[in-house]
Amino acid sequence: MANIADIRNEFLRDEIEEFLERPEEIERTVGVFAQARPAMQDIAAALIEGENDTVDRLTRAALDDGIEALEIMDDGLIAGMGVVGIKFRENFIFVPEVLACARAMKAGMVHIEPILSASGVEPLGKVIMGTVKGDLHDIGKNLCIMMLRGAGFVVIDLGVDTSADDFIDAIEEHEASLMGMSALLTTTMPNMGKTIEAFIDADLRDDVKIMVGGAPVTQEFADDMGADGYGKDALACVELAKNLLSAEVEVP
Amino acid sequence: MDTGSQSVPSMSGRERVMAALRREPVDRTPVCSPTSVATVELMDLVDAPFPEANQQPELMARLAATAYTELGFDTIMPVFTIIQDSSALGCKIQWEQKDNWPTVKMREPIWETPDDIRIPPDFLTHRDTRCVLEAIKILKKEYGNEVAVIGKTMGPWSLAYHCMGVEPFLLMSLDDPGKTKLCLDRMKEATIQFGIAQVEAGADAITLPDHATGDLVSGEYYRRYLRDLHIEFAEKIRIPIILHICGKTMDRMEYIAQTGMAAFHFDSKNEPQESVDIMKNRISLVGNVNNPETLFSKGTEEVRQEVLKNLDAGVQMVGPECAIPLQTSIENLKEIPLTVRDWTREQVAG
Repeated sequence: MANIADIRNEFLRDEIEEFLERPEEIERTVGVFAQARPAMQDIAAALIEGENDTVDRLTRAALDDGIEALEIMDDGLIAGMGVVGIKFRENFIFVPEVLACARAMKAGMVHIEPILSASGVEPLGKVIMGTVKGDLHDIGKNLCIMMLRGAGFVVIDLGVDTSADDFIDAIEEHEASLMGMSALLTTTMPNMGKTIEAFIDADLRDDVKIMVGGAPVTQEFADDMGADGYGKDALACVELAKNLLSAEVEVP
Repeated sequence: MDTGSQSVPSMSGRERVMAALRREPVDRTPVCSPTSVATVELMDLVDAPFPEANQQPELMARLAATAYTELGFDTIMPVFTIIQDSSALGCKIQWEQKDNWPTVKMREPIWETPDDIRIPPDFLTHRDTRCVLEAIKILKKEYGNEVAVIGKTMGPWSLAYHCMGVEPFLLMSLDDPGKTKLCLDRMKEATIQFGIAQVEAGADAITLPDHATGDLVSGEYYRRYLRDLHIEFAEKIRIPIILHICGKTMDRMEYIAQTGMAAFHFDSKNEPQESVDIMKNRISLVGNVNNPETLFSKGTEEVRQEVLKNLDAGVQMVGPECAIPLQTSIENLKEIPLTVRDWTREQVAG
């Protein structure tokens, strides 16, 4: 089993000791960073600090040194974002800090994405995300998108005020099998159910897993609407997306 | 606070609310909504639907009055949304229909830097601010002796979300605190202008929503950026101010108690007893019956239990935690004053 002393980057060691509390998360995070080369640890540390210029510089330097783009993404950017998600869930950091970390992630991914795309590396999955019809609030949805991208998903963001037809068109156009709907208003929550009904009417319901979330949404409401899952926050959204996709693979 | 005491003579709704805002004895705990209690059912009842009830003073006043005439609350609040001020500042609004809230198009911000911020000369004569001022005058004339008429002016943090966009503004708050404070300082003029205009129109108290919620930013952020501004509002708007912040706020209640505001309208994500203990009678609490899970989705018994929890904790004014869902049943809303009266009778009976 990896030991925290195996992590070269002092900032990362401090972050794990100060902010991670769940044994399984400590074990997993220590394991990831202990096997990561020091340059990747530095990228992760800069991302956790929200330093987009540093992430940009270190990512370019790593690529120049011949490190694989996939390794930089997995061991540097995604690993760093994993710590950010936990700190956010536990209220050690708040939305402004997460936005800065997401900006840093983007600064690295700008260099990584074209390489991965050209080499045909498959993403973890593809997710369609949108705020439902009649609702213009998007901070919750955007946080989910940041965390999903931070975990290695490709996300197609449909923005706000998204009609059922827009969701259906996007699922067909991008050949995605997973989508997420968000609502902040109790008045727009029912539009989640209407969108699910539209998928049934279009005979597409079995082709797509649907997750829902948003401040007034509950597990009970999600169940009543016939959603496949409910995520109470951005980190839960990532876990849910992973679970729904793995279930899809396991069940023919 | 002394609630339900036999020694306090019978009060009008207005007297009751004003006393509770000063944390003075009351004949019973007032039932208040410092935000909206408009519902589709009430709109139909008085023929004052959205979006027109947000734009025409007579309709706004007629719909707002139902809080007293139909529901039996001790307050009337005519500002159903959080968009009136932002609309007058120049934000684009999606007005929606009767069954949905109008919303600011926050993806189309009107300001980027402190230098962009200008309070338009017609800010107080714009249709959507004038509507509020006229509605307050109507309500004051018609119900001013019976219930408290509450106005609403948005705080600079909330205005910044609308005028600058949530994400750009929150990133600015991290990248450049000086610039952020300058933005807030310039936007506060809108808060003060609209607040004072409502005082002059006859409002008894003013709700000041400023959404520095724990769901977005830390308690330290509230102290750093907003506590002093809120102290300034309490000094300059010379009637009781009810600060409204949705979501988790426990970590900033100590700072909120230091502002000199009359009351804090708090969310059901915060335990009533714990909140009362933090505030230590330095500021009144208003709240905190849950909206989406209780008032909207459950029945009268669940509403009653939440009201009792607040009364038992010593919350000074009881009501919904925030603007209620438009499809909330009248029956559930009526249960709030009903429970307060039952509880008071039991207390008096001893």
